[in-house]
Amino acid sequence: MMVENSPSPLPERAIYGFVLFLGSQLGFFLYVVWAVVPDAWLHSTGLTYWPQKYWALAAPIHLLVTLSTCVVLLFGVNLMNTAPLASVHNITDHYAKSQRAGEDQEGVIPRLRDVPISEINRVFYLDAGAQ
Amino acid sequence: MAEEEFTDINGNSISLDCQTHSAFCREFTVTSPKLSLRKVMVYTCFIWLFAYAVFFFTENTAVLSSAIILTLVGMMIHIHFVKVDHETLLIIGSLGVQLSSSYASGRESTIFIEMSKLKDIVINEAVYMHSIIYYLCILIKDPTDPETVASVVPLFQSSKPRLNCLVQVYRSCQEILAQTR
Repeated sequence: MMVENSPSPLPERAIYGFVLFLGSQLGFFLYVVWAVVPDAWLHSTGLTYWPQKYWALAAPIHLLVTLSTCVVLLFGVNLMNTAPLASVHNITDHYAKSQRAGEDQEGVIPRLRDVPISEINRVFYLDAGAQ
Repeated sequence: MAEEEFTDINGNSISLDCQTHSAFCREFTVTSPKLSLRKVMVYTCFIWLFAYAVFFFTENTAVLSSAIILTLVGMMIHIHFVKVDHETLLIIGSLGVQLSSSYASGRESTIFIEMSKLKDIVINEAVYMHSIIYYLCILIKDPTDPETVASVVPLFQSSKPRLNCLVQVYRSCQEILAQTR
């Protein structure tokens, strides 16, 4: 069965989640400590090779600007990937082209397939709408 | 000769004119609204006020003359290349289809598609920018395989009419195509 792929809660997932939660809280606490504590106190612990305090502000700002740029870029990429109105991809694709024209037996549910657009247009706009 | 209240996809009113020249020849003309004087005045005023503001701070008269030249050239390019006055679809059974766009400056660009290349004229729905629109298009046959669609030519691209207008044109065209087949 598909037990490994189900999204249901499992003990292992709960443990992973809690470890990530604790780790992220600890990481944030350490970041705030490093950003706030003056350089003299940091050096007096014996560790002298800290990043510049400039990055305490620069890194979060970089991250936020990247995030907002990615949102705008996502819209742009989607617009670029949309097929233009003159593209044949709006009508059909290679799966529909290579489908077999199945024979419809009596009393049997017809095979699922892509209906050609000419037929659809006739049904929508010619036959029914003529009333 | 039927004229009802048609609009394009943005809500601007357009007009459709159907002429039946003979039993197998019909012509459809979709006319877009004319260039509105109010919009031209508003754009010109804004550009010139902005140029005057730049001149006020930089004291450079070249800004003023370049703004005037820019406005004139921009208007000429717009009415010659961008602003479409009316688009025409002329369908002649067993001969072909002629599409023609007439621009505001009088320029006309015409395309003719032979009936042997034409597979069908259909109304298709597709994603356009942020919405899904109906548009009328001509399906061109693949010369090697008559059942496949080689390419698609969308019609009435500048004045995108809404479905009620498209359905009228579609039904009329299908009557002619049915006679030809």
